[in-house]
Amino acid sequence: MKLAVALLLAVVPVGLHAQNQWTLVASTLTWHITHPMHEVAGTSHDAKGKGVCSNGGCDFLIAVPVKSFDSGDSNRDLHTIEVVRGAEFPMVMVRTHLAQASLGAPIIDADLEIQFAGQTVHYSHVPLHRTAHGNEVEITGTIPATCSDFKIERPSFLAVPIHNEIPITVDTTWQPM
Amino acid sequence: MTLAQDSSHPAVIPATTSDTTSSSALADAGVLELPDAPLPQNTQNPAPQANSQSQSQTQTQKPAPAPQTSHAPTLSDLGFAPGQAKPDAEMQARLNKRTHDLKVHQTLGLITAGPMCAAVILAGDAKAKRNRNDPNGPPIEPSSTSVDLHAALGATTATLYGFTAYYAIAAPKIPGVKPKGAIRLHRDLVWIHAPGMVLTPILGGLALSQENQGEKVHGIATAHSYVAWTTIAAYGASIVAVSWPIHLKFWEKK
Repeated sequence: MKLAVALLLAVVPVGLHAQNQWTLVASTLTWHITHPMHEVAGTSHDAKGKGVCSNGGCDFLIAVPVKSFDSGDSNRDLHTIEVVRGAEFPMVMVRTHLAQASLGAPIIDADLEIQFAGQTVHYSHVPLHRTAHGNEVEITGTIPATCSDFKIERPSFLAVPIHNEIPITVDTTWQPM
Repeated sequence: MTLAQDSSHPAVIPATTSDTTSSSALADAGVLELPDAPLPQNTQNPAPQANSQSQSQTQTQKPAPAPQTSHAPTLSDLGFAPGQAKPDAEMQARLNKRTHDLKVHQTLGLITAGPMCAAVILAGDAKAKRNRNDPNGPPIEPSSTSVDLHAALGATTATLYGFTAYYAIAAPKIPGVKPKGAIRLHRDLVWIHAPGMVLTPILGGLALSQENQGEKVHGIATAHSYVAWTTIAAYGASIVAVSWPIHLKFWEKK
């Protein structure tokens, strides 16, 4: 009996460490807005992310501070933070659960849950392209976000609002921990 | 997903109630023979907290599309500084006030351009002119109506400009943010058009006073139109600068 307990105690930590973990080592996230007279993009490289795999499934979380997006114009960036309520909800968080087996595919079909501007929105079947670079894995894709999804009042210029579509292009590089 | 899907056009399920209704209506009409659209999965979150406890609370308030295991990473696992994820209602209020003030600034600024342009257009009728047939003869005096209209437009412009400037100055400043990009030029041009907006009516008043005394406009008053044109050029550049980059062929779709 004592031997069985000792074995169990020895095996449990080993089992925990056997989980596959991924960490985000580089990222470029860019929002794009379109107005009849403007096309603007804002980019952030400040995302952090982690993936934990166990029991054949992997949970990923990526978070990025709203205020880290830079469009090249401080006035526009401040207005962006205001309109998406970025001081009240300072982080954009993306969660996804993937089958561990799907991580090796060149195109990963992901269901994403995004928390942004005080809303939680789900996007199904977002194709993410996977490219291996040695030990690292690059994941790219576009999240088809819209202002209405997140109940964002569309900013306007000369009384004409921006388009509802605000696609977010994602380029992330992951490394196993 | 029952349809073969173009990988570049993923299915989006941020479905609001109205989206679902319209999908069902199409299906009822026989336009599409598709299974029912997924239920709306758009959830309003409470203001987030800096710790992971509130995150898990948010998770339990909504139907999770993807099963999250107990090992799912949380925000606290990512290593952000504690202040980064902390909601700041005071800052949000400051940003809201800033946007409000700058929207008023923008609107008043565009309105100001109206009387400014009109004053410039009508300036020719408000000054004495030489008779082309008799260049050495006495100048043709402008009508008092033209002079009064020009002066009234100038005064209106200066007043509106003052209100416009007030809202830009009153807009709350955000600590730690340095002006960058087109807004810098917009701000820098103030050093040209603000003195111009003060000087132009003063010089105009001097010129009018000299004309009323039967004198030829002389001295610094002769600079009235040059100062006015410099002011309007800087003001116009300021409007363009803050609107930059402008996609000029806005009717073309990419």
